[in-house]
Amino acid sequence: MKLSQLQFSSLLTYCPRGGLGEANKSKDVMLALKSDTFVDDPPILMSQWIANTLKQNKDNLPFSPYFHDDTTLVPTPKSSLMQPNTLWVPERIATAIVRVGLAKNVLPCLSRITPVRKAATSPAKDRPKPADHYRTISVQKPLNQPSKIILIDDIITRGSTLLGAANRLADVFPHIPIYALAAIRTISNTSDFKKIYDPCVGTITLRATGDTIRRP
Amino acid sequence: MVVHIKELNSSLFLNLQSRKCLFSDRLILIQQSELNWKAYIIKYILKGRGMTGLTKNRIYTYSLTDLLGPLNDVEEKYAPKVLYVAGDLPIPLPKPRSSIIGSRKASTKALETTRHITSALVQKGVIIVSGLAKGIDTIAHKTTIEEGGDTIAVLGTPLDKYYPKENAQLQDFIMHNHLAISQFPNDYPIQPRNFVIRNRTMALISDISIIVEAKDSSGSLHQGWEALRLGRPLFICESIVKDASLSWPIKMLEYGAMVLNDPEEVLDYLPSNQGILKLIQ
Repeated sequence: MKLSQLQFSSLLTYCPRGGLGEANKSKDVMLALKSDTFVDDPPILMSQWIANTLKQNKDNLPFSPYFHDDTTLVPTPKSSLMQPNTLWVPERIATAIVRVGLAKNVLPCLSRITPVRKAATSPAKDRPKPADHYRTISVQKPLNQPSKIILIDDIITRGSTLLGAANRLADVFPHIPIYALAAIRTISNTSDFKKIYDPCVGTITLRATGDTIRRP
Repeated sequence: MVVHIKELNSSLFLNLQSRKCLFSDRLILIQQSELNWKAYIIKYILKGRGMTGLTKNRIYTYSLTDLLGPLNDVEEKYAPKVLYVAGDLPIPLPKPRSSIIGSRKASTKALETTRHITSALVQKGVIIVSGLAKGIDTIAHKTTIEEGGDTIAVLGTPLDKYYPKENAQLQDFIMHNHLAISQFPNDYPIQPRNFVIRNRTMALISDISIIVEAKDSSGSLHQGWEALRLGRPLFICESIVKDASLSWPIKMLEYGAMVLNDPEEVLDYLPSNQGILKLIQ
C-alpha cells in the first residue's frame, strides 16, 4: 500500500454508547443515514440533507477547499457484497453532492469482491485492517483521469475502509490527490461527544500493527 | 362501562394485567381457547367508544406512505400502491418494528427461540411483525399478544380469507385489536406468488428482520434478500448459521446479514418511536 496517511473530513457525529440528549438522538441520525430515510420538515432524504448542509455551509466548513468543480467523488464499497439495486448510501450521498453543484461527477469505480467483517459488529481485535480492505476491493480504471478525488463514505470509525480504498485508488491514480469525506464520525467515549453537527478535518494514520488511528 | 363476560379466567386475567397486557385504555376479556392456545382474547372494550369485537371487521385502504411516511426510490421499487388494513394500531405506524419470521414446520427449539426473542423485544416496546403462517409466525404473534405487546400480521391473502384456516381466530383477533395488512383486495385469488410479494412488503414495513429458522427453499428467504436490498438490518439466528446442511445463511452473511446471538443485540439497530427525525444544525 502506497499511502500510510489520509486526510478525512466529517460533518456529523454519532455516539454508539448513547447517553443523554443529542448523544442519544445521534443513534437515530445514524440509522436514518444507513437507510437513507426522510428527515426534517418538509421531508428530505438524509443523503440530500447532507449535501444541502455542505452547500449551505460551504464557506464556513474546514474542508471547503476539498470541493471544487473539478472534484470527482468515489463512493466507498460496503463491507459486504451487494445485489443489484441495493441501497448504497455512499453512492447516494455522492450523487446528492454532485446534484447541489459541489463536485463534478460520481465515479463508482470501487467494488467489494470478497466480503469482510463489519467493523461495527466485530470486537476491536477482529476488525478488518486497511490491508484487508485493500485486498478485497477491486478498482476499475476509467478512460478519463480525474484531477482530484474525494472518497465518500457514510460512517467513519477508525478509517480502515477509507485508507484501504484510498490505496486501491492510488494504484491506478498515483499522482492524483485523494481525500475522504464521511457523513458521520463515531465518538467512542460518551464524554467526548459534543453535538451531532460537529464538522471536522482529521487524519487516518496506518500504525505499525497494521491497524489505524484516527484523529480526531 | 358495562362488560359482557362470556367466560373469564381470573388468574390469567391478572397475569396479563400484571404484564400490562391491558393496554392503557382498554379492558380485555379472555377465555380459554379450544385451540390449545393458553388464552384467547375474544372481546375488548375501548373506554368511551363502546363495544367492538364481534362486529364485522372494518377494512381501510392506505398507501404505504400513509403507513410509513415517505419512501426513497429503493423502497418504492416493490412497494404496493394500496394496502388493505384492519385493526387498532395508529396510522402512521409507530416504531420500532421488527419482523420475526421462519419455517412453517419449525423445530421445537426454533419455536422456543421465537418465544424468547419475541418476549425480549416486546418488553422493550418493539412491535412484532410477522406473516400469520403456521409455525414461527404464529408463535411470534401469539407470544406478542400474551406478553401485552402490539403485533402486525402481513398477509399473503386478502383480509377476507383465512390462510391457514387454523389461524382464523388469531387473524380475527389481530384484525380487531392489533393490525392486519394485505396488499390484495377481497376475493383476490390465493396464489403462491402472492406470498413472495407479501414477503417483500413485510421487509419494507419492518425496521429489522429476524429469521429464526428456515430451509433453503423457505419463503422467509425472499424477505431476507429484500431486507438486504433495502439496506435494513437482517439477523439470522446463530443455530441455523451453524447448520452445515443449509447454504443460504452463509450466502446472506456475505451480503450483509448478521448473526443473532442475543435478542438485545438488535436494539442498537432499532430507531426510537418518533415521527420524521428533525435535524438541527
